[in-house]
Parts: sequence; structure tokens; C-alpha cells
Amino acid sequence: MTGKPFEVFLTGATGFLGHYMLAELLAHPHVRCRVLLRSPVSKSSARLTRLLGEIGLNLPSLIVEGRVAIVEGALPDSLRPADISGVDLILHAAGNTTFHANGSGEPAKTNIDGTRAILDAAASAGIPRFVFVSTAYVCGEQVGHQLEVFRPTIPQLRNDYEQSKWRAEQLVWDWGQRSGMATICRPSILFGDSRTGRASAMKGLYLVAKATEILARAMDDSREMDRHHISLRILGRSDATCNVVPIDWAARQIAEIALEPATESSVHHITNPDPPTHQEVKGWLEDYFDIAGGRFSDATWPLTDANHYEDLFYSLGNICLDYFRDGLTFESQCAAKLSPGRRLIDGSSFARCLKYAQATHWCRTPSGEKDIHPPSDSFDPTWYFEHFLPEAVPRSVVAKVEELTAIVQYTITGSIGGSWISRFDRGRLEETNAVPTTLKPEFEYRLSYEDLVDVVACRKPLQDVFFHGSAEMFGDVERALKMVPIIGEFLKEFPVNGKENPLMECRTGVAC
Amino acid sequence: MLIETAIIEENVRIQGTERMLEGMLAYPNEHTEGTALIAGPHPFLGGDMRNNIVSSLFKALASCGAVTLAFNYGGVGASEGGPADWPAVMSKFWKSGTFDEEDDWADDTGSAMVSLRQWCDLPPILLGYSFGCWTTVKNLRDSCAKAIILISPNPKQHTFEQLSNCVAPLLVIHSENDFTCNVSETIEWFESIREPKTRIQLPASEHFFRGHEREVTQAVLTFLQLNHVLETEKHDHNH
Ligand SMILES: NC(=O)c1ccc[n+]([C@@H]2O[C@H](COP(=O)([O-])OP(=O)(O)OC[C@H]3O[C@@H](n4cnc5c(N)ncnc54)[C@H](OP(=O)(O)O)[C@@H]3O)[C@@H](O)[C@H]2O)c1
Repeated sequence: MTGKPFEVFLTGATGFLGHYMLAELLAHPHVRCRVLLRSPVSKSSARLTRLLGEIGLNLPSLIVEGRVAIVEGALPDSLRPADISGVDLILHAAGNTTFHANGSGEPAKTNIDGTRAILDAAASAGIPRFVFVSTAYVCGEQVGHQLEVFRPTIPQLRNDYEQSKWRAEQLVWDWGQRSGMATICRPSILFGDSRTGRASAMKGLYLVAKATEILARAMDDSREMDRHHISLRILGRSDATCNVVPIDWAARQIAEIALEPATESSVHHITNPDPPTHQEVKGWLEDYFDIAGGRFSDATWPLTDANHYEDLFYSLGNICLDYFRDGLTFESQCAAKLSPGRRLIDGSSFARCLKYAQATHWCRTPSGEKDIHPPSDSFDPTWYFEHFLPEAVPRSVVAKVEELTAIVQYTITGSIGGSWISRFDRGRLEETNAVPTTLKPEFEYRLSYEDLVDVVACRKPLQDVFFHGSAEMFGDVERALKMVPIIGEFLKEFPVNGKENPLMECRTGVAC
Repeated sequence: MLIETAIIEENVRIQGTERMLEGMLAYPNEHTEGTALIAGPHPFLGGDMRNNIVSSLFKALASCGAVTLAFNYGGVGASEGGPADWPAVMSKFWKSGTFDEEDDWADDTGSAMVSLRQWCDLPPILLGYSFGCWTTVKNLRDSCAKAIILISPNPKQHTFEQLSNCVAPLLVIHSENDFTCNVSETIEWFESIREPKTRIQLPASEHFFRGHEREVTQAVLTFLQLNHVLETEKHDHNH
């Protein structure tokens, strides 16, 4: 490349892959990047500053130096042609990684409509090259050796995410036929940084690791089962492989492919030429968590006769289904450049990633960045479950109930309702997600919005709402009932006067 | 023909072992006939004297003439005491479903029996619901009970050996769908205990008998009437 400034428009910069790619692009002194950040830009840029800071880059200085410029917008609706005019290349890494459509329009909205919008803008602005980050799994259910070609017929795909990525590839490939040079990069499953173990998102194989941790924790306390002989069926084949790639390597490959001049449209697999087998991954997890006993099984999902340990392992959903695949290999030119014998992921780099994951509590967002929007006039259950609980529970008596490990669903009925699932691990509230989520609840409380307002304000004890009112408990009712006094103590410590108080003091999680 | 009998309710204080407990006493304003004590569910599992089953029985028994006492275990409502290290106890309870301090709640039931005896010196009808079955049976030895009624006992969790110390007629009521102990386990245990005994399985109900309070109460009153413990026919228990 020459020393002339080369301008890249990057989407998805705040993502796991995106910020690593931004760092790789900026490692080339003549490259300048315009990054698309979603509103509110103050929050997105604060996040990007933190992410880049963690890998040694200073965003404010890069902006002052003119190496990075921020463009506010979102896909598919708010991208203006002026935002991208004059760039040499668009590197489109923004994506929605939700596997199953959930009524919000995702993942199609971002992945298909979003890609179409940016391609249209690119065509009208006359951008010569478009690099699209797809996924190696657009091959769907196919087995055998996958070539680095665009496949014009849609294969049998496993989920809405893969479907949306294949559709997006089709749009990108068509654009390449008409408007410019299209490059499709297809990474396999992204894992932590091979040097430090760092990751900013814990999806994919991390879910399998997280499920193993849940099981290992339970074994710490189990008197019934020896931790080295756990009765657990792992759905998959032991000799099949798990194609994971380290994030730093994947980001570098994509950046290099993008910055390399192209003479024609092309497809690149960013895949591991020597991926670990499922058996190897199992061994690494067992070594790390000091458990053993699981065996690979061809049982079908869902397990109707799951034992207690299987219930625990699969409490995050069928984590193996989407990541453990049989009989797939990938052609990959960039992988072919690896020195012989060098493995992208081995037992020690895997363990480093797990160590990082545990140290960061599986990437919980630092509390300073939490987006707390207390409702202005009425009590907002979303705010309560998604923002207030994560702030208040760690400071409450619940955090001292060290044996409390449970996955709990709260369903609020009525017009301002919704459903959320919290995962507690040894008293720690690890996560609370709106349904749908991969978390599988052990029990559920279902109550009306009006009852919720009274319960959180401590005007009605939860047990009264249940015994004398209309609230219901489902699933493991015994555990649901056992949790009621724990919730009761929490409510006494952190009452929230929903209707009379606009909750302003609760911004910081302080009880009103 | 059932006739409603007005009852009087009083808040009472019960001297427990090193703690005062709160209770509720109810009795008809005319003729009284015997006494009854109701021990409620586990304090950590919704157990207070306002529980749906406890309060339904409380009113029905009083309107049938029994001087009836319900109470809150230590640490519940205005009763003093309760586990000192709450998070540690709760942790233990979450893990194993039981903890050492539960014995104090059995002692509370014993204290309530003594107080009731002091107020009205007649052999009591002893009623326990869920965890209250265990606290009741633990105190049977000195009770001179006239009848024993156990609702939703959990023989998987608790032992009821002391039942053999008492010859009073026994009624066991259980639900068809109890998450703490299934029907066959309850029947197996019931077969193993001493006579005289009666077992009633209430259809379409679960451990909490929500919406089935009236059937539970009806079953109790019929049993007491058949065993000539209480004369219930002239009273209305439909509260
Ligand atoms: N993770 C994997 O294992 C994996 C494997 C293969 C391929 N991929 C592909 O790699 C790409 C990056 O994945 P990732 O794991 O880094 O995802 P990620 O961490 O979830 O990041 C997604 C990025 O896209 C942005 N984004 C999402 N929806 C958007 C919209 N509607 N408009 C504008 N920006 C939007 C996000 O912005 P906010 O920060 O504002 O949310 C974020 O910067 C995706 O295209 C994905 O399909 C990922």
C-alpha cells in the first residue's frame, strides 16, 4: 500500500470483533477510520473508549489526531450518504447475533435490511469496495469441505441468524456484480485473545464454558455425586470439531484482506485449520473446572429424562446445538499461511480465555456504563428488573445467601408487563435478561402489574399476593416458595415506591 | 340447617422459651366446647397465622365452639426472636430445606399449647398444617390431645414417631398434587402409623389448597363431629 491516507468506514466498531478490527486497521499508519456509532453517541463512544483502552489505544487522542471520526447513526434507518461519501472502503461488521427471531424484527432488521441500506448508500456514493463480515456457518446443515465461494442457492440453515447472514451475503454479492468490488469474510466462532485471553462478549463457546462452571459449582457442594464421575450427556459427537478462532487473529486477517487491493469479488473463510475436537474441548473444560464424567450422546434435544446435573448443564439452553457441528471443514487461504504445526487454539490459550472470563464475571458491563432510565411518571418493570435489580441486589442481604443458586423468571401481566429471567449464582445476581433469552428458568412467579407495584413498595408481602391474591408460581414450586423470604428481605431493604415517587433517587440503586 | 355463630377474636401474647410470641385467640360469645391449637407452615415458606388454611380453620373451629389459638412462630410478624444469622440460616435452608433453629419453632408450638391450657384447661384439638404437622407431633407427649389433625404432612422431610405416644383419633388430609410428598409416599407412610386414623385425599388440590380452603375445613369439621369431638352441625363454617 502507498502512504496516501486510506479511509475506511467501519460499522460494528463497539462489537467484540469490531473494536479489534479497528485496532488492526489503525495499526496501518495511513489508514483513517470513520466509525458508525449508535445513539446516544456519548454512551457508545464511552464504551468504545473503554474497549480500545483495554487493548492499548486512546480513542480521544486518535480523534484529535484525525485517525478516527465518529458518525452517529443506526442501520437500517439512519445512515446518510454524506456519512460515507469519499471513503475508499466500507467494512461492515455490524450485526445482530440473535439466533432466533423474537418479534423485534431481529436479526433480519439489522442483518438484511441494515446491509441493504448501507449497500444502497454505498452505490449512490460510488464507494468502490465493500467488505462484509458474514459467518462461516452460512453453510448451514451442509457437511464436508466448504469452499471459499458464494453459493447462489440457499442451503438448509439452522436458525434465523444464519438465514439473515446468507441473505445479506446474497445482497453483497449482487452489489459486487453491479456496483463495485465485494469481499465476504466468514469467521467461524470467535473466542478470546490468544495472547491475553481477553474478550468483550461471551457468546458461542463461552456459553458451554459458563454451563460447565455452573455444573462445577454445584459439584463443589454435592454429596451425592463424585465430581469426577458426573452423569451428563453431552449432545454431540466426540470426534467432530469445534471451529473456534482467536479474536485477535480473526481481526487481523479481516483487516489485511480489506486493506489488500482487490481485483475481483471474493469470499474468505476466517476459520481454524486445526480446530479442537469436541473431545479436546471437553478435556480442556474438565481440566480447568476439575470435573469429569460427561459422555457424548446422540440423544435428542430437549432431554425429556434429564437428570439434575443435565438440568444444570443445560440451564442456559442447548448450548451445544449451535456450536458443536459434525463433519465440517473449510477451505481457507489465510489459514493456509499459518506456520506448520502452529495451533490457533490449544489447551493453554483456552484456559487463559476461561481465566479472563471468570475474572470479569463473564463480561458483565461495568456499572458506570449502565444505561439507567428511570420512568418519569409510572413504575417501569423493565427499569426495575434490568437496571435496579443488578444495582441493588449485590448490595443487599441476597448477596450474603451464599447457597442461593437459581434461575428465576418473573412474568408481569397487564399492559405494562413483560417477562425477565435472572440467574443467581451463590447469591450473586449474574444476569437478568428479558425473555426470550437462552436462560432456562427453574421456576416462575407470575403476578399482575398492580401487584408488582404494591410488592416492590412493600405495601403487600409477596407471600400474601400468592396465598391470598392472584399471583402464581410455576415450575419448581418448592424452590419458588423458598425464595419468597429472600425476596421479602430484599424488598424490605430496597423498597421502591413506584407510583408516588418517580424513582429519581433510584438512579444509583439507592432505595427510595 | 347451618347457623352462623358470632365469634370474638383477641390478640394475645404467648410466653415462649426466652421470647414472646404473638397469637390470635377466637371463641364463640356464647357456649364454648373444647379448645384447638393450629400450628402453621414453615416461616420461610409462607408460614404465618394469616395463612389461607390457618385462618380458614381458625374461624370455623371457633364458630363451632372451640377456643382456638393460632400463633406466629419466633421471628414472624410481631413474635420475637427468629434466626440470628439470617443469611447463613437462609443459605442452609436453601441448600438442604432444613436447619437447626427449626427446633425453636417446635418449642414455640409447645409454648402455645401450654398457654392455651392455662387459659382454658381442656384437652385440645391439635391441628398442624405442613411444617406445623411436625411441630405439633413433636409436642404430643404431654398434650392430652382430644384429636390430631395433620394437613399436608411431609413424612419425607420429617419423622412423626411421637404419634405413637398418643391414642387420640388422627386425621390426615393431603392433596392429590403435593410437591413436597406425592400421594403414594403419603399413603405408604399413613399405612405405617398407628390406629385410630382416617385419611382424606382432596381431589384437584395442591399443597397450598388455594381455592380449596372450604373443603379442607369441611373435612376437619366432619371428622371432629363423627368422632364426637365437636358438635358442628348447628354451626356455620362457611366464612
Ligand atoms: N461472535 C462470533 O462468534 C461471530 C462469528 C462469526 C461471525 N460473526 C459476525 O461478526 C460480526 C460482529 O460480531 P460480534 O460478535 O462482534 O457482535 P457484537 O459484539 O454483538 O457487536 C455487534 C456490533 O454491531 C453493532 N450493531 C448491531 N446492530 C446495529 C444496528 N442496527 N445499527 C448499527 N450498528 C449495529 C453493535 O453496536 P452497539 O454496540 O451499539 O450494540 C456492535 O458494534 C457480526 O456481523 C457477526 O454476524 C460473529
